[in-house]
Amino acid sequence: MSANNGEDQFDEAGLDMDNLTEQDLLLLAELDVLFDKVDPVPADLVERVQFAIALEDLDVEVARWERAEELAGVRGAGPNTVTFTVEDLTIMVSFAPAGAGYRFDGWLVPGGPHTVEVRVAGHSSTTAEADEGGRFAVDDVPKGTTQLVVHMANGTGSRSRTIVTPTLML
Amino acid sequence: MAVDTWDGLTGHDPWEGLTGHDRHAACLVAARDGNRRALDVLVADLTPLVWHVTRSQGLDKVHAEDVVQTVWLALLRHLDRLQQPKALAAWLIVTARREAQRAKTTGYDRETPVAAEDLVDIPTQVDGPEQHALRDDRDRRLWTAFRQLTDRCQKLLTLTVLSGRAQYDAVAEALEMPRGSIGPTRGRCLIALRELLDAEGGPQ
Repeated sequence: MSANNGEDQFDEAGLDMDNLTEQDLLLLAELDVLFDKVDPVPADLVERVQFAIALEDLDVEVARWERAEELAGVRGAGPNTVTFTVEDLTIMVSFAPAGAGYRFDGWLVPGGPHTVEVRVAGHSSTTAEADEGGRFAVDDVPKGTTQLVVHMANGTGSRSRTIVTPTLML
Repeated sequence: MAVDTWDGLTGHDPWEGLTGHDRHAACLVAARDGNRRALDVLVADLTPLVWHVTRSQGLDKVHAEDVVQTVWLALLRHLDRLQQPKALAAWLIVTARREAQRAKTTGYDRETPVAAEDLVDIPTQVDGPEQHALRDDRDRRLWTAFRQLTDRCQKLLTLTVLSGRAQYDAVAEALEMPRGSIGPTRGRCLIALRELLDAEGGPQ
């Protein structure tokens, strides 16, 4: 960190920031290295975040992962279901191994003719239209870091909304 | 794409050669102008901060990864609302804490067994024996000394280190401490750490 880094802000805040000795700074720098040794940031997390935010439209709402059954089960048999929610929308998706990838069966609540986009890192997006009841299906989703983007159908007079999820590792 | 035209227009990135707070401020301004690479730089630089803050709330690694992603996704919409670039680290810390608490209280029913130490609100939990990861004797002594500090000292020093020297407002906000008390408290924490380190033996 440069020596004059942010000095103006320190003055503004009325903080005496320069009572750190060189020894203090070295010790803090040592701690810095140590934290990453003890609890390292997962190797591919930065990459996955970068994939998740590489969206056409940045005006997005985030659906949070509400419940996750063991993803380890993905490797075995049987469908798995995950649920994401944002204030007034719930996205449920079950995925089952199919061919070289997965088949997604999903349900948006409340339903509507929304467009569901499945993004997989390193592949082009696949989209599906949900029916009036909110059900949608996507075949042949490749394996990899996967994200759902729901483009909500415009209600009368309301602006369009885009909902995104954190990534799943399939 | 903004990413491609940026280099063509200016020949260099506005954050080039900058460090710490100045670098992040330049990235935030560029990101608001549509420079996607600036966002990637922020993610690469500040994900360790978001990660450790999230973990300090007692989340296991799997849930912490979800929360880290949620925080960055939530930032997208918020880019234009951050009045001052220097508020970025504060926003990330506060949002990470809120999202981690939310993850803990809603639908947190995954069957993954959680180690007892993961339930304790400490800054840097590990799933395995932490000592095992630290081969260097100096590291081991420093870590042992650090873990003997009070919880407050551990948090203060962790956030100090991770958010950088320029982000004292963020540290104060996250710890709900008066800003003026950060300096003296940190001084006492560092003295305590040094004493504990001495007690562990070996050269400073």
